[in-house]
Amino acid sequence: MSHSGHRLTPLGLALVFASALHGQNPMPAPAATPDLSDPEVAHVAVTANNIDIDAAKFAQTRTQNPAVKQFAATMITDHTAVNAQAAALATKLGVTPTDNAVSQSLESGAKQAHATLEPLHGAAFDRAYIDREIGYHQAVLDAIDKLLIPTTENAELRQLLVDVRPAVATHLEHAKQLKARLSPPVRTGK
Amino acid sequence: MIVWLLLLLAGRAPTTHTVEIRGMEFHPAALTVAAGDTIVWINRDIVPHTATASGRTKWDTGQLSQGQVGRYVARGAGVVRYACILHPTMHGKLIIR
Repeated sequence: MSHSGHRLTPLGLALVFASALHGQNPMPAPAATPDLSDPEVAHVAVTANNIDIDAAKFAQTRTQNPAVKQFAATMITDHTAVNAQAAALATKLGVTPTDNAVSQSLESGAKQAHATLEPLHGAAFDRAYIDREIGYHQAVLDAIDKLLIPTTENAELRQLLVDVRPAVATHLEHAKQLKARLSPPVRTGK
Repeated sequence: MIVWLLLLLAGRAPTTHTVEIRGMEFHPAALTVAAGDTIVWINRDIVPHTATASGRTKWDTGQLSQGQVGRYVARGAGVVRYACILHPTMHGKLIIR
């Protein structure tokens, strides 16, 4: 299957995720590298879900904002449900998710994102967490559209990605609406 | 029971309507029913959902996992808006006649 016009390479995807996790604008994809295998796609999907679950669990211990707490609860519920579906499908297909450079880049970026959130509290934490969720879900959407779906060969695994996409898009919209309701940063003047 | 008897006397038995939840949307998003009719929501998505009234009328299907169904018997006339508590961007409405 060829989608070369709008396709991300695995290395490009890693850079997009890394920049999204750091709150920067996603970078353009670099030169071509080999496609991900289906076991690698499965690993990327599970890793991406786990990263957002971990971020949400941390947010629940830190935020005092009920809407942010509810958003985090939804992230845990939804990404856990998706991972359960992915695990069931992998078992059914006899696929063992395989670690790869994209998954490793995701985990490395998540650690750095956590280090950025760790010192923050109150409204500053809420804004930073929701900003991170907006960037992350946008990067995941781009990855689903431009790398994961075009790369995946197994029809059932590809259908799972297609089925998951609307949930990711809804999470992104939810986070954007939440951001609009969060108080803006307080400016200190002289 | 009273609504059901009135409908029976009027020559109209209550009917059941189905709203599918798929692709993070309610299908149909707007549904016209009669008081006494039953609305059934079935979740086709991987992630859980609810159908929860957002106005003065209080009802809630509770959390529906994939394949689960929730029911509500329409009461009174008017427009009742509802949403998914887990995903506040998802909205639907019942027009009860």
